[in-house]
Amino acid sequence: MTTILVVEDEPEIRRFLRSSLGAEGFRVIESPTAERGAIDAGTHRPDLAIVDLALPDYDGRELILRIREWSPMPIVVLSARHQEQTKIAALDAGADDYITKPFGVGELLARVRVALRHAARTPVGQILRMGKASVDMEKRRAVRDGTDVHLTPIEFRLLGALAKHLGMVVTHRQLLSEVWGPSHVGETHYLRIYMKQLRDKLEEDPVRPRYLVTETGVGYRLLAHEP
Amino acid sequence: MIAGYVWAVGAPLACTLVGLALHPRFDLVNIAMVYLLAVVLVAQRFGRGPAILTTVLSVAAFDLLFVPPQGTFSVDDLQYLLTFAIMLTVGFVISRLAENVRVQAEAQAKLEAAAETERLRSTLLASISHDLRTPLAVMSGASSSLAERGERLSPEERQALARSLYEQAREMSERVAKLLQMTRLETGGLKLERDWDSIAEIAGASLARLRERLARHRVVLELPDDLPLVRVDAALIDQALTNLLENAAIHTPPDTVIRLRAWRAGEELVVSVEDYGPGLAKGDEERIFAKFEHGAAEGRPGGVGLGLAIARAIVVLHGGRAWAERLPMGGSAFRFSLPIEAQPTVPAEATA
Repeated sequence: MTTILVVEDEPEIRRFLRSSLGAEGFRVIESPTAERGAIDAGTHRPDLAIVDLALPDYDGRELILRIREWSPMPIVVLSARHQEQTKIAALDAGADDYITKPFGVGELLARVRVALRHAARTPVGQILRMGKASVDMEKRRAVRDGTDVHLTPIEFRLLGALAKHLGMVVTHRQLLSEVWGPSHVGETHYLRIYMKQLRDKLEEDPVRPRYLVTETGVGYRLLAHEP
Repeated sequence: MIAGYVWAVGAPLACTLVGLALHPRFDLVNIAMVYLLAVVLVAQRFGRGPAILTTVLSVAAFDLLFVPPQGTFSVDDLQYLLTFAIMLTVGFVISRLAENVRVQAEAQAKLEAAAETERLRSTLLASISHDLRTPLAVMSGASSSLAERGERLSPEERQALARSLYEQAREMSERVAKLLQMTRLETGGLKLERDWDSIAEIAGASLARLRERLARHRVVLELPDDLPLVRVDAALIDQALTNLLENAAIHTPPDTVIRLRAWRAGEELVVSVEDYGPGLAKGDEERIFAKFEHGAAEGRPGGVGLGLAIARAIVVLHGGRAWAERLPMGGSAFRFSLPIEAQPTVPAEATA
């Protein structure tokens, strides 16, 4: 049985998470504080953790750092609106994705499933399907409407960095560090230029992207299907 | 304050120059009138202190330069003592009067500011009571039905109540977020996290979030490929744009076109949301940006009346402007501008 740790101080939100995750067949462990969460993460060894960023004892981000010292378990954070910087800090500390309060159960389950799937798989050569376009990351070949599309090495690397976290958000900092190197983490405009190029080549309507999605102020998310 | 005393010294000096030009073709009485005029003007503009200084200096200058024997403060003809007395009296009286007027004006302004605060507070309360209590009433009604009478309802009815509960809650959370955001913007508790961003990308995110709300409209985009990047807090600009698009969706009939355009105008990037709805009433172009305002033509079609005020506050924080225009062919345009800075460079990639 898949176990999910919920670290959240509001009892009513815990109740809602317990019943909706329970109904989907997950076992739910509840921790009302960060301290308790750190202990429960160690003793119960959950498959995934849902962490509220505003906890009474210490910062959710601290808890993420502590879990990351010993475990790669997927972590989804709950954050309030208008707190992009807090989200970014949590993601850069090692969280895999976030959900903004208030959220619906559909959104929550989608995030949880993507994160669990991601943890279960060892990413090897993959083919990304994006509507009428597809990219074979291993053979480094992109096709759209049956015709080859040329992607530059940087475009491939950028797509690869997003594909590694397929379905999950990747922060600007993470992308810049992975594609251009750690000394370029401040050059967000590189991403604006190269994401536009990728969308122009792969999306049907580049301004309204369906696969290379913008998470405003935070990063990007690749929503391609795998075969 | 200092300016008042500068004028208090400068005015008699200027009068003296005028007096010297008039002298001796004009009577001394007329020259005294010139000084009197200065006293009146300074008193009216700067109040008592400067007025008294002007009076004293004027009397001294008049006596020294014009009243025989010139060059001394002694007076041959005693009738000039009367002139001095009148000048001093007029100076004191006028400055006293001016002071009273100023005090009254300030008190009036304070009263008006208090009345404005009071008006805002009462519209805020009215707005909260209407916009938050209505969904709350729906929510408590629907949830009590589910909690207390759930077993007597058909699955369809239960489903419908639960869904309405969910929708009202989401709507209310939007409204609360807007109230909070307006407060943050007004109290200056908001720090801009600026970074290079593309308005087309921000627009894409706004449109994705508004997909449901815009489903009944046809959204036409005119965002040229070569738009410059802007250094903005993307989350906030996204919100400003979302508010303009939402506003257009609420105030125009279904199946009409909403056009989202952007272009470069000199050192500014202009973003424009244009609709083909009933349009603004003449004179409403500015009023609708005020808090808790709704257009003249409408009732309360939803929302707290903060969307445009928030959009404007965000844009102004970025050094831009936000305004509305009536379109010549009918409909209206809601526009904002953002300053364009020197564009960052991206190293060219060797394309193999």
